[in-house]
Amino acid sequence: MYIEKLQLTHYRNYPSQTLSFENKVNVFLGENAQGKTNVMEAIYVLAMAKSHRTSRDKELIYWDKEYAKIEGEVEKRSGPVHLSLVISQKGKKARINSLEQRKLTNYIGTMNVVMFAPEDLNLVKGSPQVRRRFIDMEIGQVNPVYLYDLGQYQKILAQRNTLLRNMQPRASKENLVMLEILTAQLIEVAARLTEKRLNYMKSLNIWANPIHEGITRGNEQLEIQYKPTVNVCEGQDLTKMIEEYEQKFVKIKDREIERGTTLFGPHRDDLVFYVNGKDVQTYGSQGQQRTTALSLKLAEIELIHSEIGEYPILLLDDVLSELDDFRQSHLLNTIAGKVQTFVTTTSVDGIHHETLEKAATYRVNQGNAERIR
Amino acid sequence: MHYPEPISKLIDGFMKLPGIGPKTAVRLAFFVLEMKEDDVLDFGRSLVNAKRKLIYCSNCFHITDRDPCMICDDSSRDRTTICVVHDSKDVIAMEKMKEYRGLYHVLHGAISPVDGIGPEDIKIAELLKRLQDDTIQEIIMATDPNIEGEATAMYIARLLKPTGIKITRIAHGLPVGGDLEYADEVTLSKALEGRREL
Repeated sequence: MYIEKLQLTHYRNYPSQTLSFENKVNVFLGENAQGKTNVMEAIYVLAMAKSHRTSRDKELIYWDKEYAKIEGEVEKRSGPVHLSLVISQKGKKARINSLEQRKLTNYIGTMNVVMFAPEDLNLVKGSPQVRRRFIDMEIGQVNPVYLYDLGQYQKILAQRNTLLRNMQPRASKENLVMLEILTAQLIEVAARLTEKRLNYMKSLNIWANPIHEGITRGNEQLEIQYKPTVNVCEGQDLTKMIEEYEQKFVKIKDREIERGTTLFGPHRDDLVFYVNGKDVQTYGSQGQQRTTALSLKLAEIELIHSEIGEYPILLLDDVLSELDDFRQSHLLNTIAGKVQTFVTTTSVDGIHHETLEKAATYRVNQGNAERIR
Repeated sequence: MHYPEPISKLIDGFMKLPGIGPKTAVRLAFFVLEMKEDDVLDFGRSLVNAKRKLIYCSNCFHITDRDPCMICDDSSRDRTTICVVHDSKDVIAMEKMKEYRGLYHVLHGAISPVDGIGPEDIKIAELLKRLQDDTIQEIIMATDPNIEGEATAMYIARLLKPTGIKITRIAHGLPVGGDLEYADEVTLSKALEGRREL
């Protein structure tokens, strides 16, 4: 799929901007703080209905304005789709072909994007939260039921944590009964989320290893493992998983009451990456960690392709310059001719690659982008 | 710009209503100025009467102008079944259906630790009291199909287990008369979960 046209109204530092794109590499050039990343972010928000940089939607609205609007013409295998997202103080309104979508979970995933930004280089060594966010965003855009379950999980978790806090210093009989009920509710959703995450990581693993081998010229083998806080594994029956969770929660009940918070579940799970059998987070060099992050992102593109039958749109925000020559050309070779890609950089000097030389180029200057080549 | 006090008070009053923001409140307030005095007086009286004359039924806690309410007082109704709902609006929705002939119990809320609402804050103890005589044979849990509603239903079911009374939960899934293709993915997946053999 690819974006043919993007229209921004009152978005960040863009008062009004219309851009047309071709189904190839589009490079955004400009000094710092001119609005290059804002274009990447706008495309991301159009797809995911939220920013990768901030959870405060208000920040997306141009100074002093009431609302921000992002519109896009997306060419998909099934035909063209018009997407529109309006962000105001009151919330978000999403439309597909001018039809308003009551639930955002139905909107997200109409257009698929993979973003690779400098903070993604932290995917391996950063906090577990970064990795969980990565999993949730990726499964969410191909599976709306997962997104719904995730929302339900967070609500139940908030209820359960408040209850556990209320149980201090002493728990009433009513609270103990209520805890059992919230635990049952939590487990049902937790098992479903864990099952989907395990399946997803298994598929991602299959794609990531050959890619990683390619980037490292056959020197490194990558293995990704999903690390649940409860003893469950991929391929296990859902009822069996529920049983595992039930046993765990019974065992740790007193500790949870003492600590006043939920200690186990998908909100505490993590990913571990092994290169040649060694945990990259602990033992890998910075270069290995970056390569792993790059392999993951490239695997994600292939995985989305295998799930939905077409390639997502790739957003490379300021990362090209962070990679060495070999990794740069590996990345550009992989996407050449099949993935519509948006690249931001302060300069293309020093990057010599056929894909970039043929790219459409835009100059970004103080909230205005103009095609220069 | 400042409004004279009588109208700013009126605007303030409208803004306390759900779904009414500052702009609508101003529009409504100015509309009231244009209304006939009799209509305004009628309207004012209805507001006060609704508040003063309506009470909660001491048995089922549905809103009523007399105690016990019309439903509880109706001897032709099935006294062996109680349908448990969140609020009075749910009773009215159920009554529109004209299929259900049993009694009701209005909880006035759902258990939600986050909002500081515990079991003791809604009419659960009152429900248990009603079950002390043996006429009740079935409790239908018709609380909302969201997390709090489900938790409340499960909580009550847990409390009632020792009594041996039959407890049922209303189904959820596809709306009747709707087309399958228009249902969203989540509703569809829930409907699929609750499928039954034919």
